[in-house]
Amino acid sequence: MSALKRVQQWATFARIWHLYDAAWQNPFDSAQVIKKHLMGLHKPIYHTMSQCGDVVVVINSADIALPGDEWKKRVYFHHTGYPGGASWTLAWELHEKDPTMVLKKAVYNSMDGNIQRRYTMQRLLIFPDSNVPKDILENISNQLRPLRKVPKRLDHYPEKEVKEFPKIIDYPKDYIVK
Amino acid sequence: MSLCRPTFSLLRKCIGQNLYNLRLSDSRSIKRWVSPTLRELKRRRDRIGPEPERPRSSFLEWNYEAEVYAFGKRLGEEFDKNLLKRALIQREYANKQEFAAREKGLPTPEMLHNYELIQEGSKIISKVIIDEYEKLYPQDIVKAVHEYLTTEDMLSHVGKHIGLKDLVLTNEFPVVNETLSNTFKAVVAALKQSQNLERAELFVKDFLLSQMNGKDVYEIWDPKNPYEYLMKLLNDKGISEVEPRLCNQSAVNTILANYQIGLYSNKKLLGIGWGENVEVAKETAAIDAIQRLFRNYVPKQ
Repeated sequence: MSALKRVQQWATFARIWHLYDAAWQNPFDSAQVIKKHLMGLHKPIYHTMSQCGDVVVVINSADIALPGDEWKKRVYFHHTGYPGGASWTLAWELHEKDPTMVLKKAVYNSMDGNIQRRYTMQRLLIFPDSNVPKDILENISNQLRPLRKVPKRLDHYPEKEVKEFPKIIDYPKDYIVK
Repeated sequence: MSLCRPTFSLLRKCIGQNLYNLRLSDSRSIKRWVSPTLRELKRRRDRIGPEPERPRSSFLEWNYEAEVYAFGKRLGEEFDKNLLKRALIQREYANKQEFAAREKGLPTPEMLHNYELIQEGSKIISKVIIDEYEKLYPQDIVKAVHEYLTTEDMLSHVGKHIGLKDLVLTNEFPVVNETLSNTFKAVVAALKQSQNLERAELFVKDFLLSQMNGKDVYEIWDPKNPYEYLMKLLNDKGISEVEPRLCNQSAVNTILANYQIGLYSNKKLLGIGWGENVEVAKETAAIDAIQRLFRNYVPKQ
């Protein structure tokens, strides 16, 4: 094998590190994207028997947005194995305990339950905020596009811009704004 | 029908009786000697060991004349019979035959051998390879390919598979690679003398150059320091400044680190390469640049 062919192989199977910002994202829709990159399904060389999966670093998992009333209705079941060991935890409770867990379980459940699943999960790194260790940040060379645009909250706009925004009516002088 | 009935019953009884007898006689004649005998034969065979390799010419039905005749016909070439025979005789073999005859006091036969033919064939082979590859590649690659195709291993491989192994007249057995490669060269020269140079060149093209099929010349020719080699090439073209740039990198803190480096000159990409570190990527980028330069190589007329 010539030197060029060798590095061609090396580059083909290079492990890319992706960054994904989970703020304001639906974890279940995000799981489909993250799973695709973790397993290497987006690559033309993909095969179940070849190790071609990438690494995904997820940040801001504490700021995920569940659709509808999922925070209240979604239940995570756990059983210790002992009699009476069953427990049901609501999504908001789980999120309070560990803000990475909902997303992690979403990705885990999006994949088939085969022998590769746990190894694929090892390539997923989730951080509740944007504080990522430096050595991990250095590895990252790609950012995955967020599925939804992050809306800007009114209190995040500068005060001047809010005041100068064209208004339809003016409140009366004596009107008390709540 | 009623008349037939007793007949049928008698017949059935008779067949039944006979089948019973047959079964009895079967069980009596199980050949209990077969398995131990075969086992013993196998044991003896194993004790003796594998049969030694024997030259094909020591077989009873060997007919040298017919084989030599068939050799040329098989390859679709018209050989002069005496020339071909001469090409197959090694010098050592000829000498030994002569000594043997002298010792016995017989008149010494004038044994011709293939020594001169080897030299001539070697020149023809070299010429064909160089002529063909000079049309496509620069001097260094031509040299490397020529060296690769004229190695003893390559020539003996070709010689062996066109069936020279059994035809060669030589002292040693099994036939060594050197003898086979020499004989192949001699056969080429014999063909040239039997027909013409053009025919011999076509023969070399068909059997030796075809060995390059599916092989990459850049795997055969591998410059030791590609970056320096590239700089030398570019200097000849009048380009002295080359800027290696880091185009991409991934997973730098892991064992699977990958770097992509492009070599630029005057904002133009010369070559791009990958590697597990920056140095390797730079060297492979140089190899790529060399290949791109050679891709539109025009031979000097």
